[in-house]
Amino acid sequence: MSTEAVPAEKPKRNYNALFGLTLLALLVLLWVILSLATSSFASANNISNLLRQGSMIAILAVGQTFVIITGGIDLSVGAVVGFATVIAAMLINAGLPVFLAILVTLLVGVAIGLFHGFGIVKMGLPPFIITLATLTSLRGIGLLMTNGNSISINNDAFQEFSRNSFLGVPNLFWMVILVGIPAYIFLHHSRWGRYLFSVGSNAEASRLSGVNVQRTIYMAYTLSGLCAAFVGVLLASRIGIGNPTQAEGWELQAIASSVIGGTSLFGAVGSVHGPLLGAFILATINNGANLLNVNAFWQRIITGALIIIIVYFDGLRRRGK
Amino acid sequence: MTSTAQELHPHPVLEPGRTILELRGLEKRYPGTHALKPVNLAFKSGEIHAIVGENGAGKSTLIKLLTGVMPRTSGDVIWEGKPAALATPHEAMALGINAVHQEVVLCRHLTVAANMFLGEENSRFGILQQRAMVKEAQKIIDDLGFDLPAHVVLGDLTIGQQQLIAAARATVRGTKFLIFDEPTAYLTRKEADQLFTLIRRLKGEGVTIIYISHRMEEVFELADRVSVLRDGTLVGTRNISETNDAELVKLMINRSIEQIYHKEHFTPGAAIIEARGLSGKGFENVSMTVRAGEIVGLYGLIGAGRSEFVTTLYGRHRKSAGQILWEGKEVQVNSEHDAIKLGMALAPESRRDQGLCLNLPVGFNLNLPIYKRISNNLLISGSQEKTQADRQIADLRIKTPTRNALASSLSGGNQQKIVIGKWLAHGAKLFIFDEPTVGVDVGTKAEIYRLFGALLSKGAGIILISSYLPEVYELADTLHVFRRGKLVATHGFRTADHEEILTQALAEKQEKLGGKI
Repeated sequence: MSTEAVPAEKPKRNYNALFGLTLLALLVLLWVILSLATSSFASANNISNLLRQGSMIAILAVGQTFVIITGGIDLSVGAVVGFATVIAAMLINAGLPVFLAILVTLLVGVAIGLFHGFGIVKMGLPPFIITLATLTSLRGIGLLMTNGNSISINNDAFQEFSRNSFLGVPNLFWMVILVGIPAYIFLHHSRWGRYLFSVGSNAEASRLSGVNVQRTIYMAYTLSGLCAAFVGVLLASRIGIGNPTQAEGWELQAIASSVIGGTSLFGAVGSVHGPLLGAFILATINNGANLLNVNAFWQRIITGALIIIIVYFDGLRRRGK
Repeated sequence: MTSTAQELHPHPVLEPGRTILELRGLEKRYPGTHALKPVNLAFKSGEIHAIVGENGAGKSTLIKLLTGVMPRTSGDVIWEGKPAALATPHEAMALGINAVHQEVVLCRHLTVAANMFLGEENSRFGILQQRAMVKEAQKIIDDLGFDLPAHVVLGDLTIGQQQLIAAARATVRGTKFLIFDEPTAYLTRKEADQLFTLIRRLKGEGVTIIYISHRMEEVFELADRVSVLRDGTLVGTRNISETNDAELVKLMINRSIEQIYHKEHFTPGAAIIEARGLSGKGFENVSMTVRAGEIVGLYGLIGAGRSEFVTTLYGRHRKSAGQILWEGKEVQVNSEHDAIKLGMALAPESRRDQGLCLNLPVGFNLNLPIYKRISNNLLISGSQEKTQADRQIADLRIKTPTRNALASSLSGGNQQKIVIGKWLAHGAKLFIFDEPTVGVDVGTKAEIYRLFGALLSKGAGIILISSYLPEVYELADTLHVFRRGKLVATHGFRTADHEEILTQALAEKQEKLGGKI
């Protein structure tokens, strides 16, 4: 329209990546301190153990992050994990091939996610409410199905998977990579990822720009449900039982990981690498506290304090920008 | 314990003409921009001082410094002869400096009375005296001549009425210095008149009024003096009686514009869209046609059903009766997606609520409608994303450091350019602009009007909604007048005069059309 020059573009710092680096630095710092402070932390055994501990929360946190970016919350993920262990255990014990049992379990997770989407989009329920409702009722349904008992899984191969390693890295951690890479591409390099952000920022503006807001919300909760069901399969493999009361409180750990990883509960801010790092920072603190013989009660307090500190500094940095 | 009449009208009688607030070399730098270059200016008590300037000229920065929202970089503010730090909003309010913002910043879920006394509630032994507060609030409102109830929830009022409440609220707090930031942007003429009455009355009580507006006729109607900001510099202060429109515009944009309302005439082509007896929520039985190469203007008061009509065309709301024909064929527009696919584009009324993802980058907003086009089945092309955004930023001269800056960091006019720019990249046959120049400076307005010409020359049709009569009057080839959900009159280009159109839009003959429109 005119010849007036637009101000020259300043070199852009990738601010998400930068935050990722500070988190990574924190994680490495924790590892160095614990290696020096304890004799057992740096052992291959303990590191494998740590990676296994962190993996499941990490995968949950990725699914949770998709939901939080849209401005929602998924409180049901812990219950979905427990419920999925029951489904997987029952199907495997019923003689279904393992891969089919896993597939059906994942589909159950998808169905739960679709139900959340339905509640939010069609019934107009707040995400907090609909997922709180499934949190309690899924545990109830699972208890009804099992009469309150645990179901032992009669399949050694299934259980060995979670104990084994590939190239020296625990299989469970490979699963994080299996989920993390497609999730990263999806969120940061596909238009559906962009739509998650735009809906979280301003649903009405997105809608008027031609974004299918309803479908985007369905998608976010479905992915969260899918991640949770997948974690349920992994947990069933790890503990060898199906039990609907498992994974109590994991939804809060997933949310904490996501928030530590830089996700804003107001929506439209978040990444995939952040929550992954957040989950392993939390896992490291728990693991380190165990090795240092810190009272388990203190671990909870430390985790809480850490959430406050990290989110506070993140907020400072954002405002200062 | 309870408020007394004295507290309600606590303005000390100020000696008129005395300097109440003086700026000495007031300056503000942000990283990368020099938002306000040293300003020296003295405000007198009991004057209405207008501040005009293009978007990004430094008006908002000045307000933020005066109301303590942001710290200044250097310079002094002298309040009644003593230096004032103005470090926090609270300090500014304690001195008696208040502001009424363009967007209402009150609690929509509380009652009018609760809002008026928010932070200074009237309580006895810790219990709120709700009834007493409603009564007092009602007294203040009646006293000001606003015909509004004090007991209703604020959100139930129109935006314009909420604005009046915000103004009323500012008057009950011992205000000596009151800043109005584009207060009439969402007001009807009647509400604006009520506001002006209030402003003149405050002036009479010795309150200093800072009045910021893009509407020149309001400045001339109200102000005693006017200061012009351009690119962060105070370029001049004039007594209103010694200046005129042309001089101010020239000071503001440093070039004279013979013709703000740039109008290009094209021979209308085939019909793009036709509404036949369309009804929906907020409007009924509206029929009109938009042809290629023409601007169809929709004029009326806020709430006359114009926005509802276009959003129904656009598939945002369901129609209850009637037909929509697209290029001669009847179509069902069940969603925005359908509308966009046909070739419609809507730049909605509210940038903040409907137009932009404010906490996301400029480039993101520009590309939002075209992410499908710039990605293959799976991935977005990073280079396309970059070039598309940069092209719009350059073409529309959007003032932003980079495409990665957040949309919220831009000024109003530049935000409006994003809202329009995202549809230019996408392309469309029918462009619907709902109040495209609200809160936009003269220079940007002219750019937007030129853009209309460019779109028409490419064979597009335009629906232009405006509550500002000169805009639709000078630009529209066909002008439809709306009143209470009905299309009540249709005119050709300049075939009726302002008076006639206004009467049709208002249809309340007894209503005084105060001032120039």
